[in-house]
Formats: sequence, structure tokens, C-alpha cells
Amino acid sequence: MHMANELLSVPVAAGTLAIAAAGLGFICRKVRQVITADKLALMGILGAFVFAGQMVNFQLPAMPGTSGHMVGAVLLAIVLGPHLAAIVISSVVIVQCLIFQDGGLLALGCNIINMALVPAYAGYFLYRIVTAGSASSLRVHIGAMIACVVAVEAGAILVPVQAALAGVLVVPFSTFLITMIGVHFLVGLVEGLITVAVLGYLQQVRSDLVLHSLPGKVRLSKSAVLATLVVFTIIIGAGVSLLASGLPDGLEWSYAERPDEPDFEPAVSNDDSRIAAVDDFQSRYSVMPDYSVRASKLGQVAEQQAGSSPGWTSFAGVMGSVITMAAIWLTAWILRKRQSPTA
Amino acid sequence: MHHAHIDKFAYQDSPVHRLDSRVKFIVVLVFTAMVVSLPRTSVSILACYAVGPFALLVWAKIPLRFAFKQILLVSPFVLVLALSCPLYDRTPATVAFGPFSWRLTLGWMRCFTILGKFTVTMSALIALVSTTRFNDLLAGLQRLGLPKVLVIQLGFLYRYIFVLIDRAHHILQARQGRKLRSLGFKAELRIAAAMLGSLFVRSIDTAEHINIAMQARAFDGKWRTLSRLQIRAADYIFALAAALFMAGLYLLVKPVLQ
Repeated sequence: MHMANELLSVPVAAGTLAIAAAGLGFICRKVRQVITADKLALMGILGAFVFAGQMVNFQLPAMPGTSGHMVGAVLLAIVLGPHLAAIVISSVVIVQCLIFQDGGLLALGCNIINMALVPAYAGYFLYRIVTAGSASSLRVHIGAMIACVVAVEAGAILVPVQAALAGVLVVPFSTFLITMIGVHFLVGLVEGLITVAVLGYLQQVRSDLVLHSLPGKVRLSKSAVLATLVVFTIIIGAGVSLLASGLPDGLEWSYAERPDEPDFEPAVSNDDSRIAAVDDFQSRYSVMPDYSVRASKLGQVAEQQAGSSPGWTSFAGVMGSVITMAAIWLTAWILRKRQSPTA
Repeated sequence: MHHAHIDKFAYQDSPVHRLDSRVKFIVVLVFTAMVVSLPRTSVSILACYAVGPFALLVWAKIPLRFAFKQILLVSPFVLVLALSCPLYDRTPATVAFGPFSWRLTLGWMRCFTILGKFTVTMSALIALVSTTRFNDLLAGLQRLGLPKVLVIQLGFLYRYIFVLIDRAHHILQARQGRKLRSLGFKAELRIAAAMLGSLFVRSIDTAEHINIAMQARAFDGKWRTLSRLQIRAADYIFALAAALFMAGLYLLVKPVLQ
């Protein structure tokens, strides 16, 4: 599920972008030592495969008219190893953002974390755990299934957490979280089923792909697997503890404003001075602290407001913008008209 | 399929298309950040901000209908969230707009703000990507510090998306031609898996062929492009205009309201 710009505040967007950039930069540097020119084409084309694979849809049971499709993060992690899979899926997310406008530019950091980094590593890790020792086809299938469900869920849990950190949630945090978990359990289940089915097909046709021997696969060392486990546990733990302390809606305290208390100060303290600085910038930057809304909170009646300045200011702003746009369009139209006979 | 022609406008020519990709990218990023950091219940100011992307789109001769269709296409998630706002925030508020005033709830204000911000930031993004060729954008991003591995990866990905989508189309067409009724979930899943599996295997084989072809042409892992990035006078003017527009909106509107 693509995160949108509007679910984020600038500090959270900047923070997640920084984390995603640092993570990707680290992976790229790590991979550069292993990667040779011949793996570049493979990675690129498997990225394109993810796009094409998403077009192959199939009917879901019990819900006529709906259809599911594969996302492919876990499949790639199994075949390519987590590092290369993380790069490939990140590139898919970036192209989805830049070319297909799925998810916003500011939300790119969140989307890379939620949909590429976490699923690739969590999925690969779980798959490795289950298939450790013997890679019998039953273990491969169970491992892929678990990996898909957990990888999708882990990414989905992060969406409400990020939105809550940004303080933009109007929907109660727990409701949002439970909805996301519920919906993505189904998504993960479908993803798991199709991944298992594809793996089954591959085992018949090209069993070398499933059994860790694709050229270019970069495997994780044991310590790296452990480190992944730790990071993953922290992420999940943070999500769950937020949920626990968030009942009922403890995160409301992080709202930047509370309608019942107009001069409420956000109680969230950020230790990072840079985040505080950005926060400060953001609060100073509140261009239009919607006067009419504030005023009504103070108990003024509508009649008093109708003639007061804020309404007229916004009116003037909107009208001015509309007139400007019309002028721009008209100018462009006239210019084009003048050009077309000569061209 | 809308995918195949999604960035067809990037290959047009206009003053906006000729701007340097780095400048455009940074301007759109800053613009998005400014719009997103607007307060959550201010709708009308968004109209002023919308002038920016609107001007770019018109100036670059991007059909506005295309932009709107694109925004609609990617909106479902945001739409659901925006429409759930009125359910949860029922604080009454009075909104004054010129001679009119309504009684609304804060939830509706937030809903409108989210949708407005979404439209404005998305049209800015569309203005960026439909006036910039993806390869130029990549070259610009590389100059801005994107890791080389990722740049090459994105270049390959972009090059082969449409090839593989075409292939997927053929496979889907074959299924449509043979499968005349719904077969039940298990069979459907098996068929889809076989389709995906064969697509996957073919992708890997294609990668191998491409790799051999590229090595025969002395590909050594370095990505060389013809596009030379150059910041020209027009780029300075554009950056200055964008900075003035954003700073102007910020400075002009703020004192009026305080």
C-alpha cells in the first residue's frame, strides 16, 4: 500500500527519506564489492518482471469481481538474496513514484522502507529460518508462505505508525492499525499463495533457481541474519508498543492541535535538535492557521464572521488564483493559436 | 493499458522540457514539502499554490485532462483516508468564504485539505515527470548523489518495463483466448502461477542474452549517456521564479492572516 504525501509531515518525511537513503546507500556499497557487470541486466529485468507480474491477475474466491496479483518482494528475495532484492524492489518503488505517480515524492522514503527494505529482509530472514537445514519442497512452501504474510504485514504496520508520528491521523490510531493489519493479512495470504504456486512451478521447470544457485545471488552471513532479526524485532516491537500505549488513542497527544484546546502545545518531545528545528520551521510556517475555524472554537457566531476579514481573504486568494490560472491558460492558448498557422 | 504510454509527454518539446532535470526535481521537492507542511484545515490557500503546477503543465502543453485522469487513477488510498476524516472528527466549525459561510465539521475541512494537497502535490509531480525524460532525470539524480548501482538498476528497469509488459499482455491474451469460464480458485491460481513462472524464467533468460550482447559490445558496468547536463540561464530564471513564487506566497499570505 503506497503511503501518500498527505499522511506525512515534513520532519517524518525527511527522517524516513534519510533512513531509506542511508539503508540503500549502505546496501549499494556493500553490494558493489560482489556485483559484477553481468548481474546488472539481471537485476534490471527482474525489476521489470515485478511490473509485468503485477498485471497477471487471478480471481479470488468468496469475493466475486475482485482479483489478486503478486507483489513479488519475497520471490525476489528468495531467488536473488535480500540485498539485491532490496535494491530491485526499491527501484520498482522509485519508478512507481516517478513514472506512475503511486505515492508521493515526500513519501518515497516511507515507501522504500515499507515496501522494499522491510519486506525483502524480513521475508528472506523468515524463509531462511524455516528452510534452514533441509530445503524440502514442503519447507520451501511453508517458509515462503510465512515470509509473505509477515513481510506484507510488517510493511503495512509501519504505515499507521509513520502517519501517527507525523500527527496527521484523524482516524484513531488503533482503528487504522487494525484495518491495515486486517486488509494486509488478506493481501499477504494471496501473496503467499501465489508465491508458493510460482515457486512450485519453478521447482518443476528450473529447480536451480529455487535452490540458492542463481548466479549473482548474495547470501547473508549468519551474523547478518541475526542483525536482521534484531532490527526486525525492534521495528515490530516499536509498532506493538505504540499500539499498546496507544489504547485508547494515546497518540492523540502527538496531534499538533487539539480542537478542544486551541492553545494546546504538542506534547511529543523530539530529542533530535534537527527534527526540532524542522518542527519549529513547520509551525512558524503555518501560513493559514484557518481563522474561521479557530474563531468558531472561541464561540463566535456565524453572523459575526460572515463579514470579517478571514473569509474575504480566502475568497480573494481563491478568486485571484482562479483568475491567474485562467490568464495563464488564455495566454498559452493565444500563443499556440498564433504558432499553429505558421507551423 | 495506461502503463505503455504513461510518459509519452516527456518526449515533447517546450521551454519546460528543456530545463535542467536537477533544477526541476529540487523545485518540485521543495514545493511538495511546502504544500504538505501547510496547516491541516486550510483549504483556500491551496488554490494559490495550485497556480504553480498549473502554469508548468499549461506551459509544457501537457493536456490537463491527462493530469486529472492520472491523479484520479492513483487516488483510491488517499480518497478512503480523506473520506474517513469526517467520521472521526465532528468538531463543528464555521467556514467563511467571501460572502458565504457554512457550518461544517473539522473532519470535512481536513478531508478537503487532504484531497486538495493531494491534487496539488500530484500535479507538481506530474508536471515534473511528464516534462523530463526518465534518462535525464536519472542523470540528474546521479549528480545529486544517487548511488551508481541504483542508477544503473533504474535505467535497466525503465528500459525493460515496456518489453515485459508487452510479454505479459501476450500471456494474458493467450489465457483469455483459452479460458472460457471461471475455473475455481485452485485452478486459477495454478494457471496464474504458471504464467508468472514462465514470465520469470523468460526474464532470466532474456537477462542472460542481454548480458552476452552487452559484453560483446564492451559493457564494463559503467553507464555512459549522451545527455549532458548543463545549467543554463533559463534554469536560473526558472529557479528564481519558483523561489519567488513560493517565498512570495509565504510572505504575502502570512502577514494578512496575523
